[in-house]
Amino acid sequence: MTVGRGVATWGQRLVALTWKELLHLWRDVPLLLFLIYSFSLSVLVSGAGITMQLTNAELLAHDEDQSPSSRELIHRFQPPYFALVGAISDPREGLRQLDEGRAMVVLDIPPRFHEALMSGERTTIQLLVDTTNAPQGLSAAAYTVRIAALFGTEAALASAGLSGAKASRPLVSSAHRVWFNPTQDERWFQSISHLLRMITLFAVLLPAAALVREKERGTVEQLLVSPVSPFQIMFSKVLAMSGVILLATALALYGVLHPVFHVPMKGSAALFFLLTALHVFTTAGFGLVAATLAKNQAQVAMMALFVVGPMLLLSGITSPFESMPQWVQAIMTLSPLRYYIDITYGVMLKGAGLDLLWKPVGAMLLLGGTLFGSGMWRFRRQFQ
Amino acid sequence: MALKEWKETTRDRLFLLLAFLLPALWLVVFGYGLNLDVEDIPFAVMDRDQSEFSREYLQRFIQSRYFSFRGYAHDERILDRLLTETKIRAAIIVPERFQEQLIAGEAVAVQTLLDGTFPLHTDIAKGYVIAINQAFTEDRLIDFFRRSRGLTQEQAGVLVRPLSVEVRYLYNEEVRSTWSMVPALVMFTLMLASPLLTALGVVREKETGSIYNIYSSTVSRAEFLAGKLLPYILISLVNVCVLWLMAVGLFQVPFKGHFLFFFFASVVFVCCTTGIGLLISLLVQTQMAALIITMVVAMIPTILFSGLLVPVASLTRGAKVQAHLFPAMYFTNIVRGSFLKGVGADVLWIDLLALAIFAAATGGLTYHLFTKRPKT
Repeated sequence: MTVGRGVATWGQRLVALTWKELLHLWRDVPLLLFLIYSFSLSVLVSGAGITMQLTNAELLAHDEDQSPSSRELIHRFQPPYFALVGAISDPREGLRQLDEGRAMVVLDIPPRFHEALMSGERTTIQLLVDTTNAPQGLSAAAYTVRIAALFGTEAALASAGLSGAKASRPLVSSAHRVWFNPTQDERWFQSISHLLRMITLFAVLLPAAALVREKERGTVEQLLVSPVSPFQIMFSKVLAMSGVILLATALALYGVLHPVFHVPMKGSAALFFLLTALHVFTTAGFGLVAATLAKNQAQVAMMALFVVGPMLLLSGITSPFESMPQWVQAIMTLSPLRYYIDITYGVMLKGAGLDLLWKPVGAMLLLGGTLFGSGMWRFRRQFQ
Repeated sequence: MALKEWKETTRDRLFLLLAFLLPALWLVVFGYGLNLDVEDIPFAVMDRDQSEFSREYLQRFIQSRYFSFRGYAHDERILDRLLTETKIRAAIIVPERFQEQLIAGEAVAVQTLLDGTFPLHTDIAKGYVIAINQAFTEDRLIDFFRRSRGLTQEQAGVLVRPLSVEVRYLYNEEVRSTWSMVPALVMFTLMLASPLLTALGVVREKETGSIYNIYSSTVSRAEFLAGKLLPYILISLVNVCVLWLMAVGLFQVPFKGHFLFFFFASVVFVCCTTGIGLLISLLVQTQMAALIITMVVAMIPTILFSGLLVPVASLTRGAKVQAHLFPAMYFTNIVRGSFLKGVGADVLWIDLLALAIFAAATGGLTYHLFTKRPKT
């Protein structure tokens, strides 16, 4: 009976503290508006606006041949990959435009191009690529080589009289089947990954800032002498902020991702929200540990930046995780976002359930438990 | 005023340490760790033909540095499961009669299953597959022409591959990711750290109420704002020098431009970013709000719209507008131009002008918004 009542008061106090946190947040109007913006409009803009695939690479053509073949070749550089921005007659003009950043690629077709192709001689076209952005430059070069190779093979087969549909020739072609996102709609990827970024950012910052504010103002001492345990103080903050973040996630999911981008939810939505809560808790653990180390909000901000920056850039939503150096992959086993990425894409696009996802889920539980535990331990030691 | 802010900032040792250490550490972590090249794509194979040709064909994938071989499967359902578990990103299925058909001079389609969750990587992987197919096809064609027309290896080679592409990479001749990333990361770290420091500095006074001392003192508006900004601008400029030294010394990125021009542009840029911090700090009441809003305003457009990862040209209209509204894009142009292209004021003056306008606009707006008698 007394145990029962103990649990009840304990719960009541937790609820009261959580409510207090929500009130704090509710009164901070700019922050609240900003939270809503981050999970609605901002997801919309980055979902619709960004493609990492080579898009509209500005192409300048320097055609010294002006023949049917050269025009045909230039014509093959098509959107969405390339955008022909002009023809030039002087190679120096091309260099100047590259310097000014108005063109990314200059294609140089030599004189006698058509003649050489027709008579079965070997000929070379030249490509100047701006590689200040290395991956994009490489990608542009790769597409060009692909276009040229296909053009060359077709020309060769034509001159060998093998161009008809029935002619016999040994060709290996690829039949691609793209799974989970058959049309390769990049808006799916971008909007989901933006949502993940936002969830992570807020999950680190909100509870950490809330806790350190109490420390800075000294109100945490008041809380500690009141009949609530340090666990309740910390947990109530995380609980309140997680609730808010989950609500915001729902807003993004049902307000933007579903209706606007038609992102499917192949797995169970309940499972997704449950695991999102787990992710928020784990990530909040980082914030809480930082908050126990810091004396004021400026310090927390710096420490949070220190954690969040690498987490967002190296966990695998902005860059391919498999090709990262080994040591980065090793460090990133500590990043909850790393597991959450697999979970989110697994549930939403692949329709995976817990039977397939138990590994990342287990890793996250372990990580979250450790972080929370050490945060608690430090917090207790500081004040008792 | 500036002296007071300076003292207040330096008193907080941990903060100061982080303010200087953070940009440097970030540069090291991202400079060495952020690899944007898609390599080591994990894949599995199902070989239905088990012939000499199919083995040779698959060997090309296994030996490629772009792919990382994870094993053979005997059943399509196993591939299915591996893809769903993200154990592999691609699967290649070689059909029966692969060798037979090729020798008979028939076209064969090899099936590739690709994980589409990351469309960019899917697209790149597709490109690699097509390139390997193309090379394999060319070898088969050369064989075919040699047998059917009695050409020599060389003649057949010219016939099959009449067109070659000579690619010249400009500015970053060895196409190193670090060379293009590190200068942009200088921009990234400046863009994040400076506004944050400033915003927190002002809101701290607001929250603790010490700002009322200022309201009632004889300090003028301009003096107060300039006093707030100066220390942070100084810290940021020290960071500019440290980051520049690291980029050139540690990462061996060539610096082809003029240092004076670069430094001057940095000063203007730092004025912009600290100005953003100040502006935010005037609009909000709590440090928590200042912290979060600055983080999101500084971080998200900088990652997405600055040209750091995605060139501005490939953004859609709305995103492009957003890119032009933030100073990050202009400074990315300046940094990359100065480091890699070696161009100076003659080309980059537009970007510099945009930055200057931005700095003036935030300055003016802040001056206008900051009144010594707030309504509340």
